[in-house]
This record gives sequence, structure tokens and C-alpha cells, in this order.
Amino acid sequence: MGVAIARGWQGYWAAVRLGWAISSNWTRPLLFIVYSVLRPISMALILAVMYAVITHNSAAARPYLAFLIIGTAFWSFIQEGVSEFATGILEDRGRYHVLKYTYLAPLDFPIFLVGRATSKLASASASVVIVLVVGTFALGLPINALAIDYPLLVVACLLAFVAIMAFSVTLSMVLLAGRDSHGYGEIMAQFLYLFSGAIFPISLLPGPLAWLAALSPLGYWLELCRRAILHGRVYEMFPQLSDGEVLGRLVLAVAGTLVLGYFTYLISDRMARRRGYIDMESNW
Amino acid sequence: MAGTSPSSNSSRPAVETRQLGRVYKSRKDVVVALQGVDLSVNQGELFGVLGPNGAGKTTLIKILVTLLLPSSGQAWVDGLDVVTDYRALRHRISMVSGGENAGYGLLRVREQLWLFSQLYGMSSSAARSRIDELLERLGLAEVANRKITGLSSGMRQKMSLVRGLMTDPRVIFLDEPTVALDVGAARDVRTEVRRWMREDPTRTVILTTHYMQEADELCDRVAIVNRGEVIAHGTPQALKQQVDEDVIVDLQLEPGRPLLDALRAVEGVGAASAREEDGIDRFSLLLADDAVLPRVLSTVEGSGRRVTGLIRRQPTLEDAFVKLVGRSLHEEDSAENGA
Amino acid sequence: MTQYSPLRIFFKTVVARAYPRVIATWRQVAWIFFDMAFPIVGSLAMVLVYQGLHAPRQYLGFVVMGGAMLAFWQNVLWSMATQFSWDRGNGTLELYTIAPTTFEAVLLGMAVGSMITTTIRAGVILVAGSLLFGISYASGGALAAIGVFLLTLAALYCLGMLLASLFLFYGREAWHLATALQEPVNFLSGLYFPVRALGSYVAGGASLVPMTLGLDAMRQLLLPGTPVFIPVGLETTIVAIQVPLYAVLAGVALRFLETRARSEGKLVTRWE
Ligand SMILES: Nc1ncnc2c1ncn2[C@@H]1O[C@H](COP(=O)(O)OP(=O)(O)O)[C@@H](O)[C@H]1O
Ligand SMILES: [Mg+2]
Repeated sequence: MGVAIARGWQGYWAAVRLGWAISSNWTRPLLFIVYSVLRPISMALILAVMYAVITHNSAAARPYLAFLIIGTAFWSFIQEGVSEFATGILEDRGRYHVLKYTYLAPLDFPIFLVGRATSKLASASASVVIVLVVGTFALGLPINALAIDYPLLVVACLLAFVAIMAFSVTLSMVLLAGRDSHGYGEIMAQFLYLFSGAIFPISLLPGPLAWLAALSPLGYWLELCRRAILHGRVYEMFPQLSDGEVLGRLVLAVAGTLVLGYFTYLISDRMARRRGYIDMESNW
Repeated sequence: MAGTSPSSNSSRPAVETRQLGRVYKSRKDVVVALQGVDLSVNQGELFGVLGPNGAGKTTLIKILVTLLLPSSGQAWVDGLDVVTDYRALRHRISMVSGGENAGYGLLRVREQLWLFSQLYGMSSSAARSRIDELLERLGLAEVANRKITGLSSGMRQKMSLVRGLMTDPRVIFLDEPTVALDVGAARDVRTEVRRWMREDPTRTVILTTHYMQEADELCDRVAIVNRGEVIAHGTPQALKQQVDEDVIVDLQLEPGRPLLDALRAVEGVGAASAREEDGIDRFSLLLADDAVLPRVLSTVEGSGRRVTGLIRRQPTLEDAFVKLVGRSLHEEDSAENGA
Repeated sequence: MTQYSPLRIFFKTVVARAYPRVIATWRQVAWIFFDMAFPIVGSLAMVLVYQGLHAPRQYLGFVVMGGAMLAFWQNVLWSMATQFSWDRGNGTLELYTIAPTTFEAVLLGMAVGSMITTTIRAGVILVAGSLLFGISYASGGALAAIGVFLLTLAALYCLGMLLASLFLFYGREAWHLATALQEPVNFLSGLYFPVRALGSYVAGGASLVPMTLGLDAMRQLLLPGTPVFIPVGLETTIVAIQVPLYAVLAGVALRFLETRARSEGKLVTRWE
């Protein structure tokens, strides 16, 4: 038992390092600027201008700007953890033809996938910080690094990461069924965008969508991030809920995601093996 | 006039190069891929370029099909300068490379070929009938409606050949067209190339290969290239005559201690090469005359190895190559593969 | 051997290169759904941002029009510009190069081939978005707006050719360059807000992308009350100049790159 855990842990770290090594190809200065700076900052600026055009920067509306910017900042975790991650896995199969070896390696395939996802999340944290810094200095958000409720932030993020990984690991397994599935990861991220409450309160969604969004952990996670960073000075999606209550819902939603992800993974893994998706020749 | 071959008349050469050279420069190093190549290929010839991996065969082809500029020297194809008249030249040539992977996976074979025919301006109906004819001939008629992702590598290669032939080029360049093909597919390719040439006696084929036998059987004339230089050229017959004076002996030995260097050291042994087949070592020796043979045999005995067969045979292109280069194609091959 | 005229080869190449695109659409029906869903979801998210800000209805119109335009910009970036270096990756580009056709024809073919899906996608965004959010347009400007739209499209695709020549040289990096031109351009060209909000320097710089002025002109024509950046007439003139400008630049760049590729042997390398 202990040996198995040790081996799993070792494999996990190997996968993290592998993911990092592959990404380091992407994190050369220019690419870092494109993916981790230009992209998220542009998103934040689009929202800031939309906000400014409508509210003319009135003081009363400032908490809403904070809502938008913190939401986009943390969105990078999903952008990288879901979209870039799925692309990476499909690239392993389609372009480099190495996925089959990974799948056959003694290490559990899910552990490999989780390891790869971890390195994606780690590299996303740079963009999160960058957008928050830009928000503070360029857009004048009253963020004070010393006043952040770090325990709450860390707990919320760790819980969310579990859910994001469960989602993206399952998603990449499902996407392996398609020959032309690169691009789908990006689209899934877009769908999550709608449900996450990253840039508008989920209550604005039309009825059934709002209901679905309330089941997803992402909204609760972002709400906690916002509260942890700017307590009382940021627009709240769930003003009637205390921090503890939001955290409770986050835990429940994460648990639900895990269960759902687990079963979907089992089904799609069996399908992948039966139909030979792992080493399928895809149109990369 | 620049761009026109000096011998520009009806019997002008299909391909002519003069002191052709190509150097690849990168930040790290400089590779001389081709140097001082003088060739003249007549219309209607099937001309082979024979050489080991890395000899510069592909580089030569890429220069002649206008994909690459020479670093020095000049080259004309069908009378047109490959540097200055490349636009006009592109109407008249095509290229097929072994193991090529071009095209769109979701298209069917016939659609894919039609797509490429359009780049040459062929009318769709003419292209379709030509494609069907060639597919039929190469035994691909059944897979004409299959997506190209579902083809075996042999079928894929034959499809590429159809692509090269269908536009009716004046000169077609085949860069190792039979590489990695099974015996049957390779034979089909060779048969079709020969047939296509017979259709019009002014059609010219330039074919690179590192298979001796292919060059010997198929080509009217052959140039042997090594390290970027043409070290000999002529008909396979003429090349073989270079070793005509020699006595060529094939020795079969039971496995044992290495012997090649010892054999090469025997006085009167011009060149020696070895290969292993089915657990038997075969040595090919070029001897100055019959009198050398006893010396060879005593060397073998001295090494304690037993002779299981000894044949005196006609020279092959392989022998000519060994004599010219000092080692066999396969030695270089295996050394590279092993690296 | 018959030698055909360059014009004939040009048109035949356009049709031929468009063909796999059209086929791709029908052989991957699932993709169409997602392909459509992608920009619709994006536009919906932006509309909801404005709703969260209690913006006037007219602003929802900005987003819907921007979303429709985005479909074309993405088509230019992903289907045209980056596709070329993809063709290079598997050796297809070499075959295009040694054929008596031109890169321009190949690129145009790619664009034309995906034009159908792109137009449907843009249409869905426009119609669905307008109906869903009750946006009304000034019908008087419709004809002029269509004219501006076609002009913008032409300029956009010429710019795409110019980018393609750039991407041709960068191989795998092209992917990243295209990404770099996504969100930042969405921001600078005022896809989701009237570009005037960026101030004249930034918006002026952003006008290098024809979408910026074209979109602004169309908004002025169809959504009266749009904050005016530059008058419609001038915007249209500038876009009209961009068409031949980018076309010529693209031609020069493609020739230059071909020569350079031939001399450096870059075209013949597959993956670096
Ligand atoms: N694009 C290139 N850049 C640098 N060196 C190259 C390039 N292409 C070929 N070479 C080198 O030039 C030499 C000849 O290569 P090539 O023409 O491909 O030989 P062949 O086709 O006979 O195997 C080799 O040493 C090869 O490594
Ligand atoms: Mg070669």
C-alpha cells in the first residue's frame, strides 16, 4: 500500500516536471508575454473599457470593476487548466504520437494527467498575479497584498483546482474520441466562462442556465477569491451568504464534480480502450 | 541570353548542371551538401543518382525542382535556368519523394489528386480520366474513394507517383520513390515509371536511390554521388567495366572472428565488403587477378573460420561503388542507422 | 504537356484549395455545432457584462455586431494565416511551391473555402443576438453598411495574406503569433465597445486592422448614436485604401519570403 502511494507520488511529480518541461518551450520570453501577459491583460482591459464607457468610472460602481478584474484574473486558471491542458494532451497524441507510451507506462494514466494539469495551473498563477497587479496600479483597485485573507484564498483555490483537474482530465479523455478535436478545449473553456460568474453575476443568466451555474463550483470559488482579496469593497454575487456558507457550497459542488468526473472518466476510458482512441491517427 | 542553356535546340539536354554546389549555413556549422556537380541528362533518359544517405541526392533534386537555390554553379532543366526561369519551369516538372505525407487527410484519393491537378490548370474532366487511368494501372482503383488516412504506406507512395505523372511533366524527379516499400510495391512503381517513359520517348526521369539493384536494372545512366560530389557516371555497364579487370569473388563463411580488415590487408585485394545474411557472413572481394585467391584463402584458414561457399561472379554496380568509395553502401547505411 | 495561362491556374487553384474546406464542413458536422457555438457563447458573455452594468440596449448591439465581425477575423487568423504553416509542416507547401500556381491563389482558396461556414456563423450571431436582445437597427444605413462590410472583408483577407507570409516563416511559432493577435486585437479594434473610447492615438493605431474602422463605420450607419470616432466617409475611404495596400504588401512579402526560403533552404525543412 505504502509502496503504491510512493510510486504514485513519484509518477505524479514526473508528470508535473514533464508538463513543465514541455511548457517551458512555451514560456520563452516572447511566448510568456503572449500567453501570460498580453492575453489576460487584454481581456481585463476590454472589461475595464466596457465598464468605463457605461459608468464613467463613478465611485459607486468601483466594486463592480473589482468584481470584473478579479474574475478575469483568476479565469487564467481555467484557461490554462482546461483549454491549454486538453490541447496539450491531444497534441501528445496527434503530433508527437507519444500518448500511447504514456498510457501503457506502469504509472496510472489519471495520475499522469493530473500531474500535467498541475504544471498548467502552476504556470497560470503568473498571469493571475500580473492581472491583479495591473488592476491595482493601472486601474486603481484598492488591493493591498498585506490585507488579503490568504487562508481563505488558498483553501478556495485548492478546492477549485481539484474540481478543475477532475473536469479537464475527464474532458481530455472524452475529447480523445475525436479525430479533429483540437479547438474543443478552448470551446469548453468558453462554456465554463458563461457558468463561472467570472465577468457577470450568474443570476443574470437565463433561468435554466442560472440554475446549472449554481451547481458549478466555479462561481463559489471566484466569489471567495474576491472576498479574500477585497472584502467589502467588491461586488458580491451571493450577498446573502456568509464566507462559511459559500465555502460549504464550494465543497459540495467540488464533491459533485469529482463523482461525476470519476464516472465519466471510467466510461470514456473503457470506450477509448475498446475503440483504440489512445493511438488513433488524428488530424493534428 | 541568361537562363537559356547554351545547347538550346531540339536535342538539348533535359537536365544540365555546371559546377553546381550548395552549402547549408546555420548558426552552428556549415554543411557542404553538393559541390562541383557537372551532369548532362539527355531527353528520354532514365537517369539514376545513386549514393548513400546524406550524399546530397535530395539537395540536388530540390535545386532542380526550384525549391532551393544553388550556392554556386548553374543548372538548367528542359533548357530553362532553375534560378531565373523558375516560374516557366514549374509548368514542366514534377517531384515525388519517398515517404511523403502531403495532402489533406479527410480527402479521398481521387479528390486529393484532382486538387493537385488543378494547380497545373488541367481541366477537371481531363484530370479525372487521367487519374483514373493511372490509379487503375498502379492497382489503386479499389482505393480511389478511400480517404488518404486509410492508405498503407505503399498505396500512399503509389498515389504520390500518380500525382507526379498525371500532369504530364517533361521531366519528373523521383527522390527515393521506393524507399521503405515492400518488394511488390517497389516493383509496381518501377514498372509504371518505365511504362510512362515509353508513352513518349522525350520524357525524362531523374531518380535518386540508395538501392544498387534498382539503379542497375532501371536506369539508362547512373551518377554515383558521395559526400556531395559526383565520383563517377555512365551507363551501369560502363560503371561495371571499371571493375571488369578485377576478379570478383563472393565468400561465404561460418560466423567467427572479424575478418574484414585482415582481408583488406591481403596484397592484391582491391576492396572488400561484408554483410551478414541469415547467420552467414558474406564477403565480396575485388581481386587483382586469380593468383590472389590462394592468399585470401590462407588468410581465412589462418583465422580459423570455415568456408561454406565460394563463387566467382559477374561484376555488379555494388562492386563498382565499393571500388570507387572504398566501402559498401550498407556499411555507411548501418553506421548511420546505428548512430 | 500543355502550358495553361496564369489566370486559369489562379482560378482553378482557388476552387481546388477551397474544396477540402467545404468538404471538411460536411464530413465533420459535429464541428459545425461547436464552431458556431464558440463565438455565440463569447458574444453572449459580453452582452451579459453590459447587462450587469445596466448599459443602454444600443450597447448590446455593439457586442452583437462585434461578435459577427470577430467570426471573420478568426477565420482570417486561423483558417488562412496559420493554415499555411500547417501545410508546410507536412510537405504540402513544397508541392504548392513547385506547381506553376501562386501562394495568393492558395491562400484565397483557403479563405473562400471557409467563407461559407464563417458567414453562417456570423449570420447566426447577428440574427440570434439581435432577436434575443431586441436590438433594432436603422434600416436606412443597411445598404451602405453592406458595402462597408464587403470592403472591410476584402481588406481583412488581404491583411490575412500578409500575415500568412509572416507566419510562413515562423512555423510552429505562427500559432503563438495568431494567439497574440486575438484578444489584444479584440481589445484594440473595439470589438465590444465603440472604439472612440480608446482615444484617438490608440484607436488610430488600431486602425491598421481594417476591422477597427469598418466596424465603427457599420455601427455608425446601423446604430445611430454611436460615439463618432471618425466620420463614416473617411473611415470607408481608409479601408478602401487598405485593400490594395495590403494586397500589394502581401504580394511583395510572399515573393520575398519565397526567395529567402529558397536561398536559406527554410522551405525544405519540416519541423525545426
Ligand atoms: N536544410 C538543411 N540544413 C542543413 N543541412 C542540410 C539540410 N538539408 C540537408 N542537409 C545536409 O546536407 C547533406 C546532404 O543531404 P541530402 O541532400 O538530404 O542527402 P541525401 O538525400 O543524399 O540523403 C547532409 O549532410 C544533410 O545533413
Ligand atoms: Mg534524401
